[in-house]
Parts: sequence; C-alpha cells; structure tokens
Amino acid sequence: MKKTLAILLACLLLAAMLPAAMAEEAELIWYGWTPGSPVNESFIEAFNQTYPDIHVTWKQISIDDYDATIKPALANQGGVDLFQCSAGSANGGIEIFASQAIDLTPALIEALGEDYADKISETSLTTMTVNGELKALGVGTVYAGNLWINKDLFDKYEVAIPTDMESWKAAVKTFEDNGIIGFVQGAGQGAFNMDTFHAICDNVNPGQFTKACRGEVEWTDETFVTGLNLWKSLFDEGIMQPGALGIQQYPEANNLFLSQQAAMVMMGSWYTMNTLPDTMRANMEAASSTDDPFTMIPINFPDLAGTGNVGYMFSDIDYATAVAAAGENIDAATKFAVWLGASEEGQQLIADSLNVVPVLKTATPNWDAVQLVNPDAQNEAVKDYLANAMANADNPRFGEISADLNQAMMDVLAGVASGMMSAEEGCEYLAEVQAEQ
Amino acid sequence: MNDRAAPMKLKRTNGLIWILPAFLFLVIIIYYSMFFTFNLSTMEWDGLSPDQTRVGLANFAKLFRDKVFWKCLQNTVVYFIITFVIQNSLGFIFAAILHTDVKLATLHKCLIFIPTILAPATMAPVFRLLYSPQGILQSFFNWAHIPITVDWLSRPNTALYVLMSVAIWEFTGMSFILYYAAMSQIDMEMLEAARIDGAGNLRTLWSMVLPNCRGTTVSMAMLGVIGALKTFDIPYLITTGGPMHATEFLGTYIYRQGIRQSHLGYAAAISVMLLVLAVAGAYLTNRANKGGGKHA
Repeated sequence: MKKTLAILLACLLLAAMLPAAMAEEAELIWYGWTPGSPVNESFIEAFNQTYPDIHVTWKQISIDDYDATIKPALANQGGVDLFQCSAGSANGGIEIFASQAIDLTPALIEALGEDYADKISETSLTTMTVNGELKALGVGTVYAGNLWINKDLFDKYEVAIPTDMESWKAAVKTFEDNGIIGFVQGAGQGAFNMDTFHAICDNVNPGQFTKACRGEVEWTDETFVTGLNLWKSLFDEGIMQPGALGIQQYPEANNLFLSQQAAMVMMGSWYTMNTLPDTMRANMEAASSTDDPFTMIPINFPDLAGTGNVGYMFSDIDYATAVAAAGENIDAATKFAVWLGASEEGQQLIADSLNVVPVLKTATPNWDAVQLVNPDAQNEAVKDYLANAMANADNPRFGEISADLNQAMMDVLAGVASGMMSAEEGCEYLAEVQAEQ
Repeated sequence: MNDRAAPMKLKRTNGLIWILPAFLFLVIIIYYSMFFTFNLSTMEWDGLSPDQTRVGLANFAKLFRDKVFWKCLQNTVVYFIITFVIQNSLGFIFAAILHTDVKLATLHKCLIFIPTILAPATMAPVFRLLYSPQGILQSFFNWAHIPITVDWLSRPNTALYVLMSVAIWEFTGMSFILYYAAMSQIDMEMLEAARIDGAGNLRTLWSMVLPNCRGTTVSMAMLGVIGALKTFDIPYLITTGGPMHATEFLGTYIYRQGIRQSHLGYAAAISVMLLVLAVAGAYLTNRANKGGGKHA
C-alpha cells in the first residue's frame, strides 16, 4: 500500500513538474543581418549554456534585402520571434518596426534593476524608445568617421599616413604608381557616401551635420556647401578610384580592400573585427584572397578643410534585438534579447568579437584574451580608436535622419559627385526635403 | 425545339464548372490584388503600423509633380525603343541566316537562345564584374593598350546604355526564336517567285520576309512595352537605379518607395499608373496590328 502510495505521489509530482519543464522548451527564429554567421551561432551556443532548452535559429538576410524580407514576415503575424532593428532610417529602422515589437522595459528592469539607465549606454535607450516604450534592446554601438588602412602596404611602399588633402593625394598616387588602388569607396551604395560626407562636415564645422538633421540649422548653411565641394574634390582630385559611383561598398570595395588590391577604405568600428586573425582570414577568403591576414589600423579622417578639426566620430546602435509581439514564445524570446543586450556574459562576448562596442558599460574587450593579427602595431591603435570613438557623444550616424532625407542626401551626393548638380543646388534640395517633413 | 435546347444548356453549365477554378483564381488572386493596390494608393501607410491615413488622390497628385517618376518614364521609353529595335533586328537577322545552310545550325541556335533562359540574378554579378573599372573589360583594354576607362556604370549618361546592352544580350534569343518560327511559316513559292522576279537576298528579306513576320514584330512590340514597364531585375541588381536615378525604372522606384522609404501608399499609386500604362501600351500595339493586319 505504501509502495503504491509512493508511486502515486511520484507520478503526481512528475505531472505537476511536467508543464513547467515543457514551458522551458522553446524554438525561436531570429532574423537579422549582422554580424552574420558563424558569429551569431556562437552567441546562440553561449546562450544555450545558460538556457539549454531554448533553441534559437539564426536567419541571416543581406542588409539590402532586410526590410523587404522582414516586413511581410512580421505582417503575417507568425514565424518571427526575434528580429534585429537599427536606429532611425537605416534598414530595419525602429521607427518602422516598433509597432511589431513588445515593450522590453519590464524585462530590462528585472535584469538590471530600476537604475538600468545608469548601466547601459544612453543611446541604446533613446534611439530604441518609441512612444515611451523600449521596443528593442541595443546590443552594440557602431562608430564611423574614420578610415582603415592596410599598414603592411603603407610600410612596404613607405607611404606617409594621410592627414590632409595633399598628403592623401600623394598617398593615393604612390599606391597607384605601384598598381594598387589608393583609396576605395563603393560610392554606388549611398549610406557610405553619407558617412564620408558627415566626416567632411564634422571636419569643416563639428556638430553642424547633426544640428541640420534635427532642423536646428538650414542645409543651405555654408558648412554644407563647403562640405559638398570637398566631397566633389575627392572625385576631381583622383582620391576616389575611377568608377567609384558604379560600385557598391559591399561587396566590391570591401573585397578590394580585404584582398589587398586597395590600401585605404572608409569603414567604421564594425571593421575592427578584421583585426582578429580568424575573422579576417574568413573575410579575406570571402573576398577571394588566400593570403595571410594583414595589419590594418584605423586612422582619423584627413583634415580636408584645413580646420584642424579631426577625430570626430558619429555613432548609432548598430543593431538591437526586438521581440516580435506576434511571436509564439515571447517569454523565451525576451530571455534571449535580455541575455544578448544586458547580461555580463552576452555583452562580454559582444565586446570580444570587436564587431561593435557593447551597450553594457561594464563590458569591455578582454585585451589579454583578444589576440590581434599584429599586436605590436594594432593593440594601442585599436584601443585608442575605440576610446576616442566612445568619447564622441551626441553625434548620431543615421539615427536622426528620416527615410526621405536619407534618400535625398544619397541623391545629392551622387548628383554632386557626377557633376549633375552643384553644391549649392544640392544644399537647396536638402533644405526643401527637410522643410517638407 | 425545347427538347434540343436542354442539352445545350446543360453543356454550358458544365463548361462554367470547368472554368470556375481559373475564374476564382483570377478574381481572388489577381483582381482582388488590383483592388487592394488601388485602395492602398489612396492611403499614407508604412506597411506595418496600425495607423493608416486616407489621403484620397493625393498620392496621384504627388506622382505628377515627382521628377523621379518622370525620369522613370523617360528611361522606360528610351529603353524600350533602343532595346526593341536592336534586339529584334538582331533576332531577325540571326533567324534569316539560320534558315540558310549554315554549318552547326543547332549549336548556333542554342548559343543564341541560352542567354534567354539564364536568370538575371545569376548574370548580374557577371555583368557588374565585366563593366567594373577593375573588371574583365578594363583588363582587356589595358592589355590591348586602348586608353579607355570602363567607368560607364558610374556615369549617369552611360549607365542606362550599359543596362540596355545586358537586356539586348539576354532577350535577343527570344526575338530570334519567334522570328525563326514565323519564317518557317512563309510560303517558299512566294520567295521563289520573288527571286524569279529578280529580287536579291536583301530585297527579299526587306520586301517579302519582314512583312510576313509582321505579327511577330507586333507581338514583340507588345511584350517589349510591357517588359520595359515592368523592368526591375537588371537595373536593381546592377545599378540599384543609380547613379542619381539615371537607371531608375517604375519597378525599381516602386520598390524604393514601398520598401526602402516605407511609403506604401505612394508605391501603390505608382503601381496603378504602371498598370494603366501597360494596358494602354498593349491596346495601342494591338490596334496597330489590326490596322495593318493583312500581313499578320
């Protein structure tokens, strides 16, 4: 009798525990564009060490196709549990996708406490908050406004690092005399032209670009006329490679730099991951190069305007994780979003991947564990670069540019570069678009 | 009389049942989608937000003031005229040559037709590489010491012609196969009579063969008009409509407005205009065919 009773009790206990155990089991689909396989899978693997019953499948979409793919997927109210978002008008812009995401404020309070705002970057909260609700948890911040150079090529051809227009032209010429593209930019992909233009404007008059995006300064201001003329001079003076407007930053310009056919490229902090040997080797292979990883370092954008204003950088949350409101496993999805964006463990992985700067203030790259391609040449350069980037505040990259202004700016930059539009006409057009908003 | 009418009525009823699946498919999928698009064109909506604002015909008014829309139409017209003339001329010439005793005729037919069956998505990277300043064509010019810089895709005044060259390469095979079939239907006695009357090869082609292929030419024109209006893959994959909308077409502009800029209502208004233009184009070419139908 006792034995029967014990078995019965055990069965009851098991039955009571079963739903809880089953509730932990979850299959999640995570859509995004960055940093891509196999890095995202490594995040999932680390996540599974803490949450073994939550299975996440990473679905990578190219950045150009992201909106076109994720919009119908979300509109169909199913099949998406987690999706990456970015700030402002970029692909995956939170302004567009916020209506499909849950408010993550309660989850963040649970993870970090009521004073969560003191523990993570301010940008990650301000850019991802829509109508008072935190619609996505920032994972990392991305900075732009600098160049990356192939230091091995600079050393080989004894080229001085460019600091102004003349030295930049001289550097490009030396490389071209040796059959190498001096500076490469895929000017057919407008977002990267905006980075270059932003860097030029910050060189002419720091902060004016951001003010104009906010409507505090007219686009017809002299800063932007000068900026557009300097932008045009990059093409006229031979700094931009021939046919720049006909190629894309990804894959063409990226491939030319990583296959060492070009010595300089305009890329931001996301390129830091290429200072890691394994990541660089994989990316070089993707660029059809079987060479050994080379030494690349970041440098300031040259002082084209001769103002001495250099080292200014601009930033956005590169990507944040949103939990789909129509997802079937919202609790499990929230666990993953919080683990990636607010846990020490998740954010340390982000820091060590050197792809983005983590949003959690306590997470910094473990430089003792991070092995770079050429530590002597790169360690200090990369550390200084990241420190300088993080010191630049309140200078959003795309976060305050509307989709219409974004398109207008891309049109103006292509128009001025190709000679179809003067700098003054370009500025007037930008002012018109700004006024219509 | 009534007895004979009854089976006829039954037959008609049966017929309706047979066409019902196709009819429902048309109504539900195509006409519903058209109605939905027109409804959408009267809204300002980003495609996801619960806020949909009814704006009446404002999107259409905006469209007529939009310089990029007119640029798209201009590009479509230029693209249609040039690709239609070159692609059909080449198709006609190849078809005529291959109706003679050419050696390895089957191989030639395959070579001409293969580009038609290749997906633009697979060929676009090849053409991007071909026309890149670091590409194959530039390497050839460098090797041959020909001082030409292949930066045509980056120039607003040449990029459209590069795309046309891709389209001509791709669709000449279609023109060829249709002209080849049309030429096979021409009565040989008529051609022999022309030769007896002293007509040479070119004269026979121009005055006898070409008029007898009129139906094919009109069909190609109709397909060409619709194809030019729907052009999307080649410009999107090679130039993404740039530089500065120099290679923008209605298809790429709809995508840009609807997806990139999240103006779904405005994109729908452009789609409605595209539909109107496609129907008008098809009607006009069809009418032109009927107007001179004696050779068709």
